[in-house]
Amino acid sequence: MYESTWLFCLKRIITLPFVLVGVSLITFIFVRFVPVEPAEVILRLSRIAPTPEAIQALREELGTDKPMFIQYIIWLKGVLAFDFGTSFVSKLPVGQEIFAKLPATIELAFAAFSLIIGCSIPLGVISALYKNSIVDKFVGFFSIISVSIPTFWLGFLLLYIFSLKLGLFPSNGKGSLSHIVLPAVSLALPVIGLFTQSIRTSVIDELQKPYVNYAQLRGLKKRIIISRHVLKNAAIPMTTMLGMTLGNLLGGAVIVEQVFSWPGLGRYLIESIINRDYPVVQSYVLIIAIIYVVANLCTDILQRVLDPRSAVMDRRD
Amino acid sequence: MNLKKNVYPLMLALIMVVLVGCTSADDRHSKTQTDTKNEDKILTIGWPLDVGPLNPHTYLPNQMTAQAMVYESLVAYNDDGTISPKLAESWDISDDKTAYVFHLRQDVNYSDGTVFNADNVIRNFDAVLANRDMHSWMGMVNHIKEVVKVDDFTVRLQLDEPYYPVLNELAFVRPFRFLGDNGFPQQDATYESIQAPIGTGPWVLTDYKKDEYALFSRNENYWGEKPLVNQVKVKIIPDSESISLAFENEELDVIYGRGIISLDNYTFLKDSGKYKTAISEPLSTRALLFNTQSGPLAELNVRQAIQYAINKDQMVESITHGTEKVANTLFWDAIPYANIELTPILFNPEKAKQLLDEAGWLLKEGEKVRAKNGERLELDLIYIATDAIQKPMAELMQGELAKIGVQLNLEGADVMVGLQKLMENQVDINFWRTNGPPTDPHSFANESATPNASGVYEAKLGLPNAAEMDEKIHQLLIGTDEVERVQYYKDILTMLHDQALFYPISYETNNVIYHEYVKDFLPRASEYDIPFAQMDLGN
Repeated sequence: MYESTWLFCLKRIITLPFVLVGVSLITFIFVRFVPVEPAEVILRLSRIAPTPEAIQALREELGTDKPMFIQYIIWLKGVLAFDFGTSFVSKLPVGQEIFAKLPATIELAFAAFSLIIGCSIPLGVISALYKNSIVDKFVGFFSIISVSIPTFWLGFLLLYIFSLKLGLFPSNGKGSLSHIVLPAVSLALPVIGLFTQSIRTSVIDELQKPYVNYAQLRGLKKRIIISRHVLKNAAIPMTTMLGMTLGNLLGGAVIVEQVFSWPGLGRYLIESIINRDYPVVQSYVLIIAIIYVVANLCTDILQRVLDPRSAVMDRRD
Repeated sequence: MNLKKNVYPLMLALIMVVLVGCTSADDRHSKTQTDTKNEDKILTIGWPLDVGPLNPHTYLPNQMTAQAMVYESLVAYNDDGTISPKLAESWDISDDKTAYVFHLRQDVNYSDGTVFNADNVIRNFDAVLANRDMHSWMGMVNHIKEVVKVDDFTVRLQLDEPYYPVLNELAFVRPFRFLGDNGFPQQDATYESIQAPIGTGPWVLTDYKKDEYALFSRNENYWGEKPLVNQVKVKIIPDSESISLAFENEELDVIYGRGIISLDNYTFLKDSGKYKTAISEPLSTRALLFNTQSGPLAELNVRQAIQYAINKDQMVESITHGTEKVANTLFWDAIPYANIELTPILFNPEKAKQLLDEAGWLLKEGEKVRAKNGERLELDLIYIATDAIQKPMAELMQGELAKIGVQLNLEGADVMVGLQKLMENQVDINFWRTNGPPTDPHSFANESATPNASGVYEAKLGLPNAAEMDEKIHQLLIGTDEVERVQYYKDILTMLHDQALFYPISYETNNVIYHEYVKDFLPRASEYDIPFAQMDLGN
């Protein structure tokens, strides 16, 4: 088992650079499809008339006058040396800017992730245990509502109720623990609904398996059966989903950060897109891709460890 | 039964713990804020973008409102279009209008205690002019020959030829504002960065967290009238809805500016009756710019017909809720040289139809769109997709024009795309706005005669008198005779009006909304100069 897991990890790690180069190349090209180039945007936003001379001078300064392939190679070489280039607008190193803002986004994503785990597991299990009861129906209704609400609208709704009307939480900014509650809930709630239903289904499936009957016959308490056996087995298919969710949360934080003035990467990205700040957009996508891919790798490995049968299944495939 | 026994109490307890914990945290927050207001007088305002590095000589990402708090100019522009002394106590202009001698105030110190004098002024000018190309949008920069010291508190600005708007441009928020000697970087390369934001202005940056807030404290060395509050906290809130909510939640004391919150929100807050509101005198003009390079809009009749067809009064009132004033001419009367008699084009759909008929754009029986020589009267209008005003205005105009047989196709786009499409002759109509004080109308004139500047040059290419207008613009900028200049402006603005190149819609204003505990103050007709010094909090 250990050998195959190591081999699996090695294979996946070897493919990582290819995936990331692909992502970086696609981003690099797509960013340049946006009409109106950075030199002109920067001049106009600075209230400077973009004469052909001014545009050419700025292009040379930004390096956008070079062929696209050369620009890509220069950027990639820089990235390999952990130099993500310089922002066209702030003139500051992009890596420095991104890594200064990344902790706030990760903090928000992890708070949301904790909420997802903390809420969806108990709700899913309770719902499964009391299948078709009022509680199950209520949880089902809550899940449908939470999944259907657009994040930005949910954000404003929470702001209106819990900040403005009830005065329980501050409406914007970062600082105390109370600042993170509303943004984390906004980010987590739609995922909680989804997860609750998935956990409910998994637990119901597990409860119907023979080992549960056997355990009951052995006289084990229901609490023990659920916590030691059912949950463990039900968790296996959830690990991949959880891993992907973490990546989604980092990306999905963009809107929530905007609504709650959370000083993370999302807002930086929005401003950079408007300003055509290529190095920032490229580097942002690459870094999020790295986090996403690594999170997926970790969950795949975790799944292998939790369920060695999956290795056999893979070989059959 | 077990469920009720075990789970419900647990969940209830959990919710209570969370709520109690958060309530206490929030109570502390509110109380601290109230105490602070009474004792330290901190005025909190929301702004959508970070204040930036506060470099007085550069542009993005520096916010002009913040630059204006810390740095000052030699002269000031007033809402009535006049120029008054600021860091220069007085000035003399040579007879040939090429030399400006500024007599500096002698009681000015920077926030770090160092003296403001002629050497420092020249050092600042030199740093700016070291990157002349970057500032070449400002006409004066292209004419400055040298800046020399006459004595410790007198400098002479020498131009290569007369350029009348020198004082207006010096009043602008950047780049000709003054950084203290201790704020200069190595080799005085302020283009790259500065050491520290040291200015002579009424405020000093004392605490800053990028993308979160900037705290400005009163400059105790300030030579002028000291501000009434001790500190101004600028909270960075990128979303306009969130700014409104933060204001309602008393996390902000004032919302000030154009487009900071939507006009719907402004009206909602105003109508609640709980807050004080005020509107400044007009600052810039919202207009449509018609592309005359080709297509139906090359014809004057079509341009005029569109203007007659739209009930502008109703449109402005319903969409801006009365916060903007209906514009019948390109510039508001208080803009220098713009107070001239022009006959407004007023809503008259019958006249619009008549003009189109005369031009041969006829509406056939059973058709909804006029046509001429097989070509349908279809026009493309591009608007900024995220602009809460432009979209409803565009839709309303679409409906109005349909009534006279003109099909208006709408396209929402990025802020930069519309302008580029207009310059490349890919779109017929684009939303457009004037720059506002203190650089209008000369910056408008300058840009109108410059390719790629603001789209006006390209849009007017189809006008029969485009070349004549460009020539007059050149003359008025370098001419020395004031009477002649008045005449040039009158001629140009009249030509533009008669040719219906623009469709002036409304005059934009600064909207301010503040809590009852904030004392009354007057909003300014300037986009960047927020009158923090006049603002005060009650006891």
